[in-house]
Amino acid sequence: MSDTSTIDQPIGGLMEGITDAFNASAVEAVSGGEPAWLANRRTEAWSAYERTPLPTTRLEEWRYTNLRKLLKLDRLGFDGVSLDAAVATGSDAEPFDLAGAPEALRAAMEADHAASGHVVEIDGRIVHVDLDPELASQGVVLTSLRRAVADHPDALDRHLATDALPASRGKFQALNAALWTDGVFLHVPKGVRLELPVRVTRYLTKPGTAFFNRTLILADAASQVSFVDEGLSADFAEQTLFSSAVEVIANDGAQVQYVSLQRMGRGVFHLQQQRTLAGRDSTLDTLNVALGASVARTDLNARLLGPGANSDMLGLCFGEQGQHFDHNTSQDHVAPHAKSDLLYKGALDGNARSVFRGIIKVHKNAQQTDAYQTNRNLLLSEHARADSLPNLEIEADDVKCSHGATVGQLDQEHLFYLMSRGLSRDRAERLVVLGFLGEVLSRLPLGGVVEKVTRIIEERLQHG
Amino acid sequence: MPVNDTIQDLGLDEYKYHFITEDEPVFRSGRGLNEKVVREISAQKDEPEWMLASRLKALEIYNAKPMPTWGGDLSKLEEVLDQIYFYVRPQEKMERSWDDVPPSIKETFERLGIPEAEQKVLAGVGAQYESEMVYHSLKKEWDDKGVIFDSIEDGLKNHPELFREYFGTVIPAADNKFSAMNAAVWSGGSFVYIPKGVELDTPLQAYFRVNQEQMGQFERTLIIADEGSRAHYIEGCTAPMYSTESFHSGVIEIVVKPGAHFRYTTIQNWSTNMYNLVTQRSLVHENATMEWLDGNLGSKLTMKYPSCVLLGEGAHGSIMSIAYAGDGQHQDTGGKVIHAAPNTTSSIISKSISKGTGRSTYRGLCKVYEGAVNAKSNVECDALLINDTSRTDTYPYIEIEENRSNIGHEATVSKVGDEQLFYLMSRGMSEEEAMALIVRGFIEPIAKLLPLEYAVELNRLIELEMEGSVG
Repeated sequence: MSDTSTIDQPIGGLMEGITDAFNASAVEAVSGGEPAWLANRRTEAWSAYERTPLPTTRLEEWRYTNLRKLLKLDRLGFDGVSLDAAVATGSDAEPFDLAGAPEALRAAMEADHAASGHVVEIDGRIVHVDLDPELASQGVVLTSLRRAVADHPDALDRHLATDALPASRGKFQALNAALWTDGVFLHVPKGVRLELPVRVTRYLTKPGTAFFNRTLILADAASQVSFVDEGLSADFAEQTLFSSAVEVIANDGAQVQYVSLQRMGRGVFHLQQQRTLAGRDSTLDTLNVALGASVARTDLNARLLGPGANSDMLGLCFGEQGQHFDHNTSQDHVAPHAKSDLLYKGALDGNARSVFRGIIKVHKNAQQTDAYQTNRNLLLSEHARADSLPNLEIEADDVKCSHGATVGQLDQEHLFYLMSRGLSRDRAERLVVLGFLGEVLSRLPLGGVVEKVTRIIEERLQHG
Repeated sequence: MPVNDTIQDLGLDEYKYHFITEDEPVFRSGRGLNEKVVREISAQKDEPEWMLASRLKALEIYNAKPMPTWGGDLSKLEEVLDQIYFYVRPQEKMERSWDDVPPSIKETFERLGIPEAEQKVLAGVGAQYESEMVYHSLKKEWDDKGVIFDSIEDGLKNHPELFREYFGTVIPAADNKFSAMNAAVWSGGSFVYIPKGVELDTPLQAYFRVNQEQMGQFERTLIIADEGSRAHYIEGCTAPMYSTESFHSGVIEIVVKPGAHFRYTTIQNWSTNMYNLVTQRSLVHENATMEWLDGNLGSKLTMKYPSCVLLGEGAHGSIMSIAYAGDGQHQDTGGKVIHAAPNTTSSIISKSISKGTGRSTYRGLCKVYEGAVNAKSNVECDALLINDTSRTDTYPYIEIEENRSNIGHEATVSKVGDEQLFYLMSRGMSEEEAMALIVRGFIEPIAKLLPLEYAVELNRLIELEMEGSVG
């Protein structure tokens, strides 16, 4: 069991994570020029942050990720002011020059297939948005969160950090709600269907800094949209914090797919909070692909709020030397007759470590729930480690629920078979790992994503 | 419902172990836990100085540790503990013949069927009443082979070196709050030594009875199964039902030496006013096997996770757990397997049934340390929910540091299917008979491992509990 006998000190010896960069005046600076409802929301979020102790490994949800060791909040800088000034002018986003963009960002975008629209974010600031004019004429909104504050205040007042990810959900939810600098707002009106995905590419250049962005996706009744959210950076020598808050609301009969493709460089602490609210007869699927960063923590809470709601929750991570992944999921069955099916897989090389903690919670009266949860881990090296906590809490009796977890090594029979067909051991191992992780991708075959992820893993396996 | 009324008229749903024996203890401590009580217990037992020192140290540890905030609801426990008698001595000394046991106590055990079972199917019997073992005996043939089966107090008196070598080494006082409490106030329990190569063909049994109201029982059992030996130990527990809460907190330490095979069976049927917080652990050496068979049917709240620490290469641990949670009961049970050597194997099978407002929780750990190559572990949990007010939870912890290992966990939750019921009823069974049959089928994989008498008893209990559960 983890070390619970010592009492954790606050990180960096600072009370509750208030630092030279994160403090009330930073909140004030970042909210300069904002409407009162938003400035107040930030202030309230900040006081929630101040009140909430930093999570320690004594908390079940943080049992295997020791923030005291892994996150040095007091060494991070934060730069919210210049953005505020830029937005206060209310000018259009500057034209984005892909040719002049950093190599990795350009390569990522060029590898993308056709899209309904693009968003580019650099260092927590949206620098480019485009949307198919045909969709815009049907009422689809794709814009930066900063612009949405001015252009769609009612929708934001109602949904931003309220129903899905309010500051009250935790220390880091509060920090993000207080300090976000920009993000993406997508609204798909009733009955509108987007054939091609919306693609967001985020890039970081500044080491030693904390970045906070938010995404709000509103899918009205019977609409359809898929959203691919890719994050990249160079490798950093200094720890860099990348905090993302993602709120997805699918109204009755809507179909939404949210894909996160995390390819941050080493040195990045990626903190991702996602909450999905699935209405009656909606489909709200998620895929979290974690390939990069030094530490990557994802909290995903999927709430099934309407009868007939359906959520497929998929995830994969591929870790190498020095990486730590922590996925904390919950399948929250509030309404009867809903279904959720989770599959998270991890392949770990070097001394990489993965944590999966998932819970299926079936509330009273959520009868006729179907909920499944599977976590499978492949340890490719003798120093890799996997911890798995697949939990069930069932308070209704007429349900079908199951969970399974496995940890093991490469199947020797599979290797033997491939090698008997003339493949080298290396090649055979690569194929088995790809096959293992490929099962997750095949469940959400979104144009471009499968190829891109497969290619990245293949390259990394070859270097290994 | 008419069916339910009829059942109630028959009185079948009653707890059959509810009978109170009128008697006067020869000594009783004050209520609550303090240094004076600890010193009194040690003095009553005429213990060596080191034992008293060890108890007082444990009391300090107990006081320093916070009340657990996980598991069952312990929020009212401190109040309960303030009212508990920590030590009640029912008679002057332990007896070797039932004829010498005071008639009221003897009658209690006769009603529980213990002396009868002893003659028929057991190698030895220990009987604990309140805080002390009142009876202990072992068949002569085993005595002659050097088997020790004694009360824990006599173990300390008669085998001090062996006792001191192992006592508190498997479960130190500081392990958890309740192991610290037990280490401070332990009383009763068994001391068992199975010599090298000795194989017992019938089980040893200890029976635990709490009779008084607001009584705390803290048995301590230490078992050493020497190389190549084989034995089976059974523990049974009952108490009458009072309106106030009682408390039971045992510590069971087992050392299974190389090549030995030991099985420990618990059939816990405490009355539903009992807090039952028990620590059970075994150290399993090379090529040895430890099996826990854990049946939790009674108590208000049980928190108990028998564990196997697989220390030697080729060691095997197995935990089979069955829990039944009826109205107002919470069974927070499961098991732990810790793989600390190569080629170790383990399996946990857990089945639970929750009925009425009952709640069953599986909580378990499977840990594989780096270097425990070729460790294999499989965990299966199945939960059956009978009513829409029942609840079940599954909290497995899987911590794997070794890639050359193979670990799996699976759990399912289901309801007794209408189709299954309909099928059986179409063959002429009543709904209740059909329900009982389905539930029996559900627990059968574990029930079949019990000695016959217990399997019959378990089935009968399940049948009684299922009466009146449908409609």
